[in-house]
Amino acid sequence: MSKKEKQLAEAFIAGKIGRRELIKGMTALGVTTATAGVLVNAAATEALAQNGFDWKKHNGTSIKLLLNKHPYTDAMIANLENFKALTGMDVQYDVFPEDVYFDKVTAALSSGSSEYDAFMTGAYMTWTYGPAGWCDDLNEFIHDADKTNPDYNWEDVLEGVRKSCAWNGRPGGALGSDDAKQWCIPLAYEQNNLTYNKRIFDANGLAVPTNIDELMGTAAAAGAAIDGGYGIGVRGSRSWATIHPGFLSGYTNFGQVDLNVGADGKLTAAMNTDVSKDFHSKWVKMIQDSGAPDWSTHTWYQVGTDVGSGKSAMMFDADILGYFMNGPGNAEAGNLAFSAFKANPDAAAPTPNIWIWSMSMSSFSKQKDATWYFLQWVTGPEHDLFGAREMDLVNPARSSVWADEMFRNKLSNSYPGYVEMHDVSAPGASIKFTAQPLFFDLTTEWAATLQKMVANEVPVDEGLDMLAESVNKQLNEAGL
Amino acid sequence: MESVNPIERALRGIAITLVILFFMFPIFWIILMSFQTNETILRMPPSMVFTPTLENYMALITGKLETSAGILEIAFMKNLFNSFFLSTASVAIGLVLGVPAAYAFARLKFKGSEDIAFTLLSFRFAPPLLVLLPLTIYFQQLGLANTYGGLIWVYQLIVLPLILWIVRGYFEDIPADVEYAYRIAGHSWGATFRKIALPLAGPGIAAAALLAFIFAWNNFVFALVLASADKQPVTVGALAFVTASGIQYGQIAAGIVLSIAPTFALALYAQRYLVEGLSLGAVKG
Repeated sequence: MSKKEKQLAEAFIAGKIGRRELIKGMTALGVTTATAGVLVNAAATEALAQNGFDWKKHNGTSIKLLLNKHPYTDAMIANLENFKALTGMDVQYDVFPEDVYFDKVTAALSSGSSEYDAFMTGAYMTWTYGPAGWCDDLNEFIHDADKTNPDYNWEDVLEGVRKSCAWNGRPGGALGSDDAKQWCIPLAYEQNNLTYNKRIFDANGLAVPTNIDELMGTAAAAGAAIDGGYGIGVRGSRSWATIHPGFLSGYTNFGQVDLNVGADGKLTAAMNTDVSKDFHSKWVKMIQDSGAPDWSTHTWYQVGTDVGSGKSAMMFDADILGYFMNGPGNAEAGNLAFSAFKANPDAAAPTPNIWIWSMSMSSFSKQKDATWYFLQWVTGPEHDLFGAREMDLVNPARSSVWADEMFRNKLSNSYPGYVEMHDVSAPGASIKFTAQPLFFDLTTEWAATLQKMVANEVPVDEGLDMLAESVNKQLNEAGL
Repeated sequence: MESVNPIERALRGIAITLVILFFMFPIFWIILMSFQTNETILRMPPSMVFTPTLENYMALITGKLETSAGILEIAFMKNLFNSFFLSTASVAIGLVLGVPAAYAFARLKFKGSEDIAFTLLSFRFAPPLLVLLPLTIYFQQLGLANTYGGLIWVYQLIVLPLILWIVRGYFEDIPADVEYAYRIAGHSWGATFRKIALPLAGPGIAAAALLAFIFAWNNFVFALVLASADKQPVTVGALAFVTASGIQYGQIAAGIVLSIAPTFALALYAQRYLVEGLSLGAVKG
């Protein structure tokens, strides 16, 4: 970084100049916008180095990460040199495609391998990894002033997201309870809301739906308006991942839960209540009337690709999936818009279930203190802000980043309604499942039941009663 | 001379054309996709009329993949090299070990020979995931984890039984009298193996090597679990095009074309040996 570039970056960090002046100045020096972002973060990192914390304590140490191929990982790698300069540490990493990523993680952890010191994970996965002794409780690091820099500001991480990564290990135990262990720390997260094609909506005079009944009606009208397309994309494969996005977000909005926790701590199925049956009926009818013809095979990829190519008019799925599909390379780039969605007209606010890409520390790491230095940096405010402003680290998990005007303007300019959607639904965003070891099995069975209902193989009432009976049997057999 | 009814000939021609279309159309469609952008691939309705582009192949060869989320680094050519190296080295070692063993099992009836041969075959029965976890632990203790040597060793689970059993059948089909005549002339077992049995078994060995290469090439899980990202074969590397920010259909198609090219060329070249070797080795006269 030249002296002039450095001065510009430092002036920006100190708030003496705005983004426009920064870009203008950097452009005059022949620096691209992306590189300017890295330079600004280098200046921020230098500022971080002055906070009195001994960042060089593990100088010369090398750690290795296991990462998933994802835009969040790209943001991490793009900023890695700043961490190395700050600490004098070296960071090696292995990046694996998402399709096989968790197989690799499971193999590495279950064999007790010390090759990787830290790894990316979803919060749901830590319900297996944590109790198995594969990843560490990070509370002991977060709250240790000798190990954590004073600017880390843990409370800045959005409460619902932060607590969703913490569990006490007791089946049915509330996420984020006082005795919960922090199995992972959020990098960024996804809420489930509506992404709709504004071009199609405007051309056909459609209004953005605000509850489940309107959603059904709008999906039917939109489906009729698209030649060869369909109204609404939601996931449908026989997988737990079918339940967790739009479906559970809508379901929870009616006050419904997956499992009840008794006074004795025993779990029982809760998905065959009258309200649940009514919601299931509407969901099933919506798919039958306006969903993809091959809905039962639809995963993240198909739902996203169809809304990005204009084959579907909207989707009730992860907001960041809509964010990606609104980018270049998609036929409908620039046409997608976003809206918070509460399925229940009587609910006060949306209640989106969330997926959190986060970082965990391997229990088999032989250099945990050094690894924590990396974890506190990559989940800290500086990197989060860099990723949000300059890369695609959406949705950032820190409230300070959501308050950043530059980030909000970046979103508002290209992703209409995204910021407003986030602001409305973030207070209610958290993991809505009950944490327990049979999570993947039971939720996959729920998805299989949904498939049968949509295929008219079983009526909704009967299907949910059968599902509840099966869930109770499995919980009982597992002593839960 | 047998005369063929013209109607029968026409029907036969139509049937053959339909079969060829059925099997070749997916390959043809993938080749077309490899010259299109994601946008044209996903347009509705699909069309065979498009402006061809080489950008998918360029992305694979240069290692820079442009997506809606920015430019991604991809290591497809490295993956392709890994597949080629692992498969070739594994088959070479498999041939060195397996062909003499196959000859011994075919010609020398010793105590426990069938049990040993069956044990080797049983390596093919076990699901890879069953053996991978203990293997991972042993490999870490032995320092073989994340090494090409370790992977080539594990690949013997795939190639060795295949080579051994195919080549064994072929050796058994060679009349033993030819070898006895050579031995009566004062030559050793080793010389008989090299000068008589090996040349006669050539097509069978080639067929076994080709099949073993294809099986090794298609393997997915061994390298995934036992090695780092820089040693992954193309079967794992190709999944990098399926990202959270979208599926890169064009690059996937180009990747398929590039990754099937070596085995396709090899199969075309060795087709005669493949059919002859397999059919002769499989039928005992």
